[in-house]
Amino acid sequence: MKIGLEIHVQLPTKSKLFCPCPTTDAPAPNTHVCPVCLGFPGARPMMNRKAIEYGILLAKMLGCTIRDTTWFARKIYFYPDNAKNFQITQYDRPLGEKGMYYLNGKKPIRITRIHIEEDPGKIKRVGDLSSLVDYNRSGVPLAEIVTEPDLSTPAEAREFLGQLIRDIRHTIDIPDDGERSIRCDCNISVGIERCEVKNVTGLKNVERALTYELVRQTKLLKAGGKVVRETRRFDEERGVTISVRKKEMEADYGYIDEPDLGIFNVKELTERLKIGESPQNMILRLSKEYGIDEKTAKQFVSTSVELAHLFEELAAATDTETARTWTSGAVSAGWKSFEARGGGDAAEVVSLIGKFKAGEITDTECNIRIRAFLTGTDVDEVRSGSADLDSIISEYLDVNPSVIEDYRKNERAANRVIGHVMKRTGGACSSAEIVDATKRLIEERL
Amino acid sequence: MIETSILSSLSKINEKYQMFRTITSDTEAGDAEFLFSAKDNLTSKDMETCSGSKILEGYRPPFDATSIARMRGAGGLLVGKTNMDEFGFGTFSTNSAFGVPRNPYDPERSCGGSSGGAACAAAVMDGHVAIGVSTGGSICCPASFCGVYGIVPTYGRVSRYGLLDYGNSLDKIGIISAKASDLGKYVNIMAGADPRDPTSCMQPDMGARRKLKSVAVPKDATEGVSEDVRMAFTDGLETLESLGVDVDTVEMPSLKYAIPAYYVIATSEASTNLARYCGMRYGHQKGDLSLKFDDYFTSFRSQYFGQEAKRRILLGTFTRMVGFRDRYYSKARMVRQSIIGEYRSVLRECDAVLTPTMPFVSPKFSDISKMTPLESYKADILTGPPNIAGMPHASVPCGYDRNGMPIGMQLVADQWDEGVLFSAAEEWEKTFESVRPEVSI
Repeated sequence: MKIGLEIHVQLPTKSKLFCPCPTTDAPAPNTHVCPVCLGFPGARPMMNRKAIEYGILLAKMLGCTIRDTTWFARKIYFYPDNAKNFQITQYDRPLGEKGMYYLNGKKPIRITRIHIEEDPGKIKRVGDLSSLVDYNRSGVPLAEIVTEPDLSTPAEAREFLGQLIRDIRHTIDIPDDGERSIRCDCNISVGIERCEVKNVTGLKNVERALTYELVRQTKLLKAGGKVVRETRRFDEERGVTISVRKKEMEADYGYIDEPDLGIFNVKELTERLKIGESPQNMILRLSKEYGIDEKTAKQFVSTSVELAHLFEELAAATDTETARTWTSGAVSAGWKSFEARGGGDAAEVVSLIGKFKAGEITDTECNIRIRAFLTGTDVDEVRSGSADLDSIISEYLDVNPSVIEDYRKNERAANRVIGHVMKRTGGACSSAEIVDATKRLIEERL
Repeated sequence: MIETSILSSLSKINEKYQMFRTITSDTEAGDAEFLFSAKDNLTSKDMETCSGSKILEGYRPPFDATSIARMRGAGGLLVGKTNMDEFGFGTFSTNSAFGVPRNPYDPERSCGGSSGGAACAAAVMDGHVAIGVSTGGSICCPASFCGVYGIVPTYGRVSRYGLLDYGNSLDKIGIISAKASDLGKYVNIMAGADPRDPTSCMQPDMGARRKLKSVAVPKDATEGVSEDVRMAFTDGLETLESLGVDVDTVEMPSLKYAIPAYYVIATSEASTNLARYCGMRYGHQKGDLSLKFDDYFTSFRSQYFGQEAKRRILLGTFTRMVGFRDRYYSKARMVRQSIIGEYRSVLRECDAVLTPTMPFVSPKFSDISKMTPLESYKADILTGPPNIAGMPHASVPCGYDRNGMPIGMQLVADQWDEGVLFSAAEEWEKTFESVRPEVSI
């Protein structure tokens, strides 16, 4: 089985690709619009430099060749959400070509190209007979990343997308807005002929749509049938793909170069723009450099690249094992809250753990102070809350001493305690906090 | 103070000549320092903008074209929007949905096109300045047929923001006037970088005016042109020589490919530009909402586009289809590059390339109606080359035929070298005696 993906990512510019309209959420339909993004006669595109910069950063991240010049093209198709009835995209000179991206640092996935284009508006169905068009999204900048058919299973495609999106978010600094913002066209072939499932939203749906196609095509071939080249769409509710049009009906977009924008020389910009280490590469490096397992490294980096940086600082100030234990425990537990309050300098954490190492404070005290610092709460408050948590756990362990025995054989025995405590605390404590405290108290009794 | 009596007689003048699609209701010029008109494919906040097309009837744009805004800013009063071939598609202004402008020298003849209304207004109204637009000859042709001066600056000199596109890589905004000194004066007002048209942002400053010292005449410049035009052009050359201008004959073999290449590029771009007119968002919008969207679009486009617009959409869609794109669209663009190269090498040796403007004087409407599309496309044989190359060029009147119909000649200068055209036109005006049309209202 071969799977290739076309991934659309919205670039985090403040204004649209060709006009000054904001890209933020609009108060009402058709309010973030102007003659340019409405395609009014006589208005023409102006290039958003920042979009080109983001595009170059992504092209670099994907190991693409970036040529000195790039230009845009008109893709002509009639649709009500397409303000000019042509979309400005890139055709014969995309920003980046022939890249290579490694899944889990191992499996190479060839990147065909990355280009920049404008998003069309949105159509909203009203009843059975009419639709309304909202052009607020019209002209929002997108990067389209096209892969070669190098992915082998629906699960692998999902894993690839997850990793890719994490790297993209880090490289061009897009806040994590959930996986819904990822739109993907999936090409899949079990036999010779391929089908394209258009516009699937979110990682989970990509896997579902591909799995459905895998089963459908396999059954069809087994029954002696033939897969026809066609475009399909995914029905999220029913979990099935539906044929939209056959290959002979495929549109001829009649591309021409966009004459209003000209040719962009991006040589200097490409030389100037540098990308840092991608999260995926960081995971691999942490695991190799510090000898921690990949799962733990991935957990740190996925929580936040800054958390992973703190782990490195801790490892330098103390030792790898201390750094790993504390980063997995108390620091991870409070980190989301720390970043939600703006993040910043976490040197205090390093200093606290240093004090613990030097024997100046107990591990319980260190734990409490770290959490107080990260969550911005009073130390005494954390102390009493944590005492509550500790006493709930201790109480359970007193009544169920068998847990300790079971834990010796299999650490999963702790899950019973954790489940109980979660119910009791009803969301007052984070799961990381509970896990941390449970393991700590069990290990005290071992 | 400016002459304002013309304002009160505008509608009468227009009744006779049909040069305007829309006219101002102002009867006083107020603080205005000059009166001007704009071709109806330039957006104006206060006046309907239809580009000669039924599909845009009633459309009031929400913004002024940069060229109009700059003319207003310099003290101009916009008196009207001039009639034109639908979207610029024509050589005789007979493809307008809103009547046909009449030649001031003979109402049975054409004003030329597609800026026919603009040239007519410049010829008929004293002291009038008309903004025209040229894609493949639409300023020089009507200037020549109406016996006035017309200039097309270098591509990218005047911002196209607010211009309803025909062929974006070819469209240029210029000036038509009965007075040669207006060319430099008003191009200077409209010119200059405008961030809303990126292709205007790479221009150097307007060069200094400099005297025309030498011209090159392509060897086959008068091949296929009418006897009257040939004679007037020869007289023009003699006059230039008497003024001390060197005249050289040169070979420019690639110019004959300009017309086919021009029509391929222009229609390819036009067919994409016209896609947006579909009965949604602006212009005519009252249609059968029970139709599927593509049938709805088709119904508007079938009903409101004129014959020539439909022809050019079909041509342009064909030339950019998969399998034909390389053979037509891509090849035409290579031809454009070689024409530019040929001009540049000739213009290294001399100040301007000189030819007649049109191969014949303005034809009668009865003859135009007998022309095939190909015959009328061929009328652009001399105006096509500088237009496809984006070179600045001007048409100046140089004679009259036995019926008194005006004849023009065309000067083409190097990119960004408008200065030599401004002064050449002014010098020429001192020597050449124009015969103004008799205007009676």
